[in-house]
Amino acid sequence: MREKPAIIGIGRTKFGEHYELDPEDLIDEAGLMALDSAGMERKDLDACYISDYLLQVTNKIGLEEGFISQLLERNIPIERMRSFSSALLNACNAIESGRYDAVLVGGMEKMTDRWSKIRDNLMLLEDHWAYYAGGTPETNHELLLREYMKSYGIRSDNQEKLMMTLAQISVKNHRNAVKNEYAHFQREIDVKRVLAARAEEKRVLGLYDFAPISDGATALILASPKRAKEYTDSPVYVLATTLATDYISYSSRPYRAGFIASKISMENALKIAGITLDDIKILEVYDQSTVFEMISLEDLGFIEKGKSWMELHKNFEDFKGFYHLDSKEVYVNTDGGLKADGNPLGATGGAQVFEVVKQLKGEAGQRQIKPDGGLLFGCVQEIEGFGTKVYVHILGGEKCGK
Amino acid sequence: MGSEPIERRVSYVGDRLKGSRCPFCGKEYFRVRKYCGNCGRKSLGKMEDIDYFYEKGVLETCTVVKEPTNRFARLGSYIYGIVSFHNGKVRIPGRLTDINLRNDEPINLEDFEGREVVPRFRRRYSVEKSDIIPTISLAFTFADEYYPYQEYEIIRPCKEYEMPGIVGYGVYVSRFRIKEGGIERSVPFIDEDAITASVESGKLALIHSGVDHRLVDKIYVGSESNPYAVNPIASKVAQVLKLGEEEKAEGVQGVDAVDTEFACKAATSMFKDAMALVCYPKNPMKYVMVIGADNAQAAPRGEPGGELDFFVGFGGAAFIFGKEDVIAEAEGWYSCTSDTPDFWRRDLEPYPQHGGRFTGEPAYFKHIIKAGRKLMERMNLKPSDIDYFVCHQPNPAFPARAAAILGFKPEQYAPGLYASKFGNTYSGSSPIGLAAILDQAEPHRRVMIVSYGSGAGSDAYLFVTTSQIKDKRSRQKFTVRYQAENKFLQYVDYATYRKFKEGL
Repeated sequence: MREKPAIIGIGRTKFGEHYELDPEDLIDEAGLMALDSAGMERKDLDACYISDYLLQVTNKIGLEEGFISQLLERNIPIERMRSFSSALLNACNAIESGRYDAVLVGGMEKMTDRWSKIRDNLMLLEDHWAYYAGGTPETNHELLLREYMKSYGIRSDNQEKLMMTLAQISVKNHRNAVKNEYAHFQREIDVKRVLAARAEEKRVLGLYDFAPISDGATALILASPKRAKEYTDSPVYVLATTLATDYISYSSRPYRAGFIASKISMENALKIAGITLDDIKILEVYDQSTVFEMISLEDLGFIEKGKSWMELHKNFEDFKGFYHLDSKEVYVNTDGGLKADGNPLGATGGAQVFEVVKQLKGEAGQRQIKPDGGLLFGCVQEIEGFGTKVYVHILGGEKCGK
Repeated sequence: MGSEPIERRVSYVGDRLKGSRCPFCGKEYFRVRKYCGNCGRKSLGKMEDIDYFYEKGVLETCTVVKEPTNRFARLGSYIYGIVSFHNGKVRIPGRLTDINLRNDEPINLEDFEGREVVPRFRRRYSVEKSDIIPTISLAFTFADEYYPYQEYEIIRPCKEYEMPGIVGYGVYVSRFRIKEGGIERSVPFIDEDAITASVESGKLALIHSGVDHRLVDKIYVGSESNPYAVNPIASKVAQVLKLGEEEKAEGVQGVDAVDTEFACKAATSMFKDAMALVCYPKNPMKYVMVIGADNAQAAPRGEPGGELDFFVGFGGAAFIFGKEDVIAEAEGWYSCTSDTPDFWRRDLEPYPQHGGRFTGEPAYFKHIIKAGRKLMERMNLKPSDIDYFVCHQPNPAFPARAAAILGFKPEQYAPGLYASKFGNTYSGSSPIGLAAILDQAEPHRRVMIVSYGSGAGSDAYLFVTTSQIKDKRSRQKFTVRYQAENKFLQYVDYATYRKFKEGL
């Protein structure tokens, strides 16, 4: 097995509305926490990979590398990516190639700084023809749901069950976030509220079906296995990190009842990590909407195509904190997911990795899950755009790292 | 922002919904592509240009947008979804237009999905008042509602006529109406204006005539509500309708395009110019298109010029003139002009003013009657020799009175009278009346049209229909009457009417 990079430190800010903070304040906080948890000094970093989607438009910052250089007071290589997962993937490539031994991976976003324009800005991540035709950040999620329902002939009563299931996903994620001190929304909601929002807005999906617009930053320290040993006895290894892409134009894609890129990315990740789906007990999916959580479980292979709504519907009849899917038990979005933990785009993937690392290390506090047979592997799915880029990371503790 | 290169590129593709097709495997693309993804290098440079402008699609899936992005905010709520063409060979995003969604109405998306739609040329979204107005055809309406699907088939002409005349025509009036004081008036949807009405009527004229768009050598657009003070409508019409020859993907049309302006006779004035050009010695033009279209302007009630607000309408008519396959030959014409400023708008003023009672007696009637009488005199005709009469229609009463003074009976002028259905469509007014007559006239009937334009002047023409008028009738589903008496008309209140007229 090729030597896998190890996560030796990790940090994040609380997600939410940080009106008083600049993006560099946020990344500073998350970065220091990561360095601190690793017990590493700034001078020991070989390089940085940082990410943000929209700072160029929300904050008119176009050369983020310079801000990081200034914060670190270092002249090391720094590269800026769009998503945290992209930064992590590139950092992994660099470490696996032997180029660097210690890298800071960070993500930040300041979406509330230009509130009146943020929904327009989000359309930058979609086909511009969709924007010209009147699309909004929410429309594709609703079209995906329509395509899904049509593809699998989900009608009348079943359609209502499906919509109820989506509401329960939101409720579940909000409940999980109550135990997450970093979450944007640390409060429970009930199904009635989700349904009421849809009814009030007279929309297919309502306020509580969508992840919020958040500020925040996340960071981790990635090290070569050799260097990792100098800092910790219990690193978490990145066993696989994969990326698959799809057309920017959702309407042009041959497959529209889910994301083909999710499927490809997951299959490759499992192959590289040398594990099966059964090994994954904890999963962070990119629930930009409740539809994403439902459909991602199919795309990633946990449930047969077209069955997710039914399986989850059964699960929610007597929910035990995890999904029981096809003889597998999997905890999904234990931090509250994007829905409740928050969604500061460039930082979001970092929070997903944060959760899995904390759970694998047994440091998740109140949120700590204790499945039968231990917790060896965790999985993160991050999506850029509307299924346009899908990253999958498989993380594992010492026993599987070698 | 102003005008940027990207605006032109988006319009060039989006106004016409241009795409490509692989000649080997038939794969289709929205947007022009140089090669096929299936066939690779052998297809390079061999892709066929196609577009979906005259096609019919299917709204596959949709959702309702309640909170649009900023530039779409004035549209309020609308349906947005995926439209497929050619049995799913291509899928593009689109918005349904011409639907005024009310917030209290429940929406069942299944009522919309799976239905056939046709692309409509509309304003894309709101921009600053000083910016170039962006347009696009990613707006759709249902093919089985107000605006029917009509195939555009180029037909090889079979007969050349002695006299030039009308080869085909199209009338476009919007779906919305306001009903007040016993009359109905057409109201544009919020994404329409004189530019979109010009394109629509020109498109319908091509469909009706079967004329090859590449053979239209000149286009005149007459309007007094061009949303630009400087920038022609005719160039947009020429580009979108691909008038004149075009080198492959060059984006420049081999056509002369010009806007004309003379209040409500801006279009009729050019009929004779158009006919002269197709008879030009040595190198005549093949076809010339003349469009009269207006989003008739009026100040809100209570403000100076607000009296007009009771009568203004929206719509346009396009006529194609030529010498082949003529449906109505021109017999003669007469025009007259005087300096009678009964309706005007100063530069930078948003709305026109008019001369009150002055507009009737020394203005409207004087010119129409003179032009009508003079033409009959010259042609040695009596009112009884003429089958149909139509004149400018600023309101329902004026044209009836003018016709009576000239000696015409209601059965002669009633078929062309649409002021009580559409209101005053300004440059489109008498041309729409003429089209209404052509919609129903038998062959070998004599039709007289007399326009009136404030400022002031009148153009009178005599046309005689040919046998081909009946042959082409089947290609015109969207007749004037169909538009006036349509069960899918939507009636709006005064506040909505003002909002729609104001536009995006």
